[in-house]
Amino acid sequence: MIKLLNARFVERCPASEPVLTNPTKQELSARKRAAKYAKILEEQETLEQRVVEAAAPPEALRFLLLTQTEPAAEGKDETSSPIVAPGEKRKHDALESGTEYGATDEPVVLWRANFEEFIRRLRHKACIENVKTRLDDGAVTVLKAMLEATRSTEKKVKTENSVPLSLSSIYEEVIKSEDGRNITFDRVRASLIQLSCPPFVIAANESYSIDFKKIIEMAQNEEVESIVLKRYGKDAYRMFRLLSNSSHLLETDKIADAAFVEKKETPKILYKLWKDDYLQMEKLQVTGAKRLTQFLLWKVNKKLLREHVLDEMFHASLNLSQRVAFELEQEQELLNIPRDKRLSRLRKVRLLLESSQMKLDDAIMLFHDF
Amino acid sequence: MSAKRKRPGPAADPGVTEHEKTVHDVIRSKKDMGVSQWDLKREINIAENIITKCIKSLVSKSLVKEVKIIQNRGRKHYMSVEFEPSSEITGGAWYVEGSLDTEFINVLKEQCWRKIYAVKVATLEGIADAIKRSNVCQIELTKQQVEEIVKALVLDNEVMEVKSTGTGEFASIPVGKVCYKCIGKRGYGGEPKLGALASIPCGVCPQISRCTPDGIISPNTCAYYQKWLDF
Repeated sequence: MIKLLNARFVERCPASEPVLTNPTKQELSARKRAAKYAKILEEQETLEQRVVEAAAPPEALRFLLLTQTEPAAEGKDETSSPIVAPGEKRKHDALESGTEYGATDEPVVLWRANFEEFIRRLRHKACIENVKTRLDDGAVTVLKAMLEATRSTEKKVKTENSVPLSLSSIYEEVIKSEDGRNITFDRVRASLIQLSCPPFVIAANESYSIDFKKIIEMAQNEEVESIVLKRYGKDAYRMFRLLSNSSHLLETDKIADAAFVEKKETPKILYKLWKDDYLQMEKLQVTGAKRLTQFLLWKVNKKLLREHVLDEMFHASLNLSQRVAFELEQEQELLNIPRDKRLSRLRKVRLLLESSQMKLDDAIMLFHDF
Repeated sequence: MSAKRKRPGPAADPGVTEHEKTVHDVIRSKKDMGVSQWDLKREINIAENIITKCIKSLVSKSLVKEVKIIQNRGRKHYMSVEFEPSSEITGGAWYVEGSLDTEFINVLKEQCWRKIYAVKVATLEGIADAIKRSNVCQIELTKQQVEEIVKALVLDNEVMEVKSTGTGEFASIPVGKVCYKCIGKRGYGGEPKLGALASIPCGVCPQISRCTPDGIISPNTCAYYQKWLDF
């Protein structure tokens, strides 16, 4: 249990009956200043958020296993790292729940799996996998060490950057790991330079921090580009990448020139991508010397595209499940084929469908949770 | 109606009719851009069939030539023989006969990739020099043309564009200068890693937006799935 707690895989359950106090006058006026628009929506969210916040155990208690009934304030040794008190309101709740726990002689503490930690670890794993395809083992070991060192300081799963670390702290962490035992200080420094191109790690003022947002975005882009390549072809792939890397609208002929695609073919391909919601299009009419010319401008809207691709992934996941069920059903009916051949086929079919489902699940997490 | 001229005009064109001369003069005035038959008709006030005859005759007399242009409708322009077609209508080095010279482009792309691979990190000037020295192509490429090819390699995900840090592998390159590196561990022309969605039929299906659990197009009735699971 202690091991699980130290690794944060397990946490205290939130309180079953949280007590909400009315916000103070100060807090109310601060809120009014902060949010002038969508007042009603904000209030509803705030109520739910307040309940969740009030129910959640304070960070200091969350991963703490009490061996005595004393209030948690003293028992700090088993928590991983000190966390700054979030704010007035939280402190207020801590006192409340503190008394709740201290009230009975034998407090019953309920534990649950900490899904947040699982998702965080999977996110880190995905980052490592991505970097592995581009850089050598040394760089991967250094990255793993940095992740290990900063994991407990991450406040939320979708953290954009890790906490900055100095070169010496990174080196210390690297030599602790099995893979990194024999790595020299210079090699660590060289790996960090490697990791800055593409910029997986940002170096600033002699300290280094991992750019999670960049790594995840790169992985998402690769997934989307793979779909474009397979569905629409190599020419479309080049044009899509051009638009994806450019932050502004580009005109049809310019796209054709840069991507080396026939000028006649370019509008057809772009139109197909647009029809399937992979691109956005705008029309521009220019009055020239004697006639009106129409230009078509194209762009990739990354946020909308991510949502659209996630949608397609959910759809595909459903299709896979449905097909597995269908194949199992069908198997009963194929009596004209000898039994061993049927079973062998069914085994292969299930293997293919179910492994595709698992792979797709990873991709869905990449777009939804990471 | 074409009567042969007895004495040649100032351009020394023997046997050219009055109409043919008018047409030729207009074509010549368009220099290296040439002119389409449609535009000719709008400029000269002669019947279309006469213009067509004149053009045919001028071409057969080697006074005018046909040039395919690269714009949308695949039209052709007529140009006086003494001019070389402008790259605006021919597309420049990358086009031949109005179409992309894909073979030439692909050869150049591979050569550029090999030059970059050989030195691990290369600047544009370095690549252009290496190409020039290796004589891969008969015509001399400008730095801008080499840049276009290298940028196409970036789009192909074969090569990436980076800025020099001045240290490590960039030691010989000034800080901040744009340079190029080969991507990843595969050789030239290898396909990028297949994504999760792209490796199943749904990922490449053109009908996915019309597919529903119990519709005409559904996973149970899908022909792509049938083929994929055909063991």
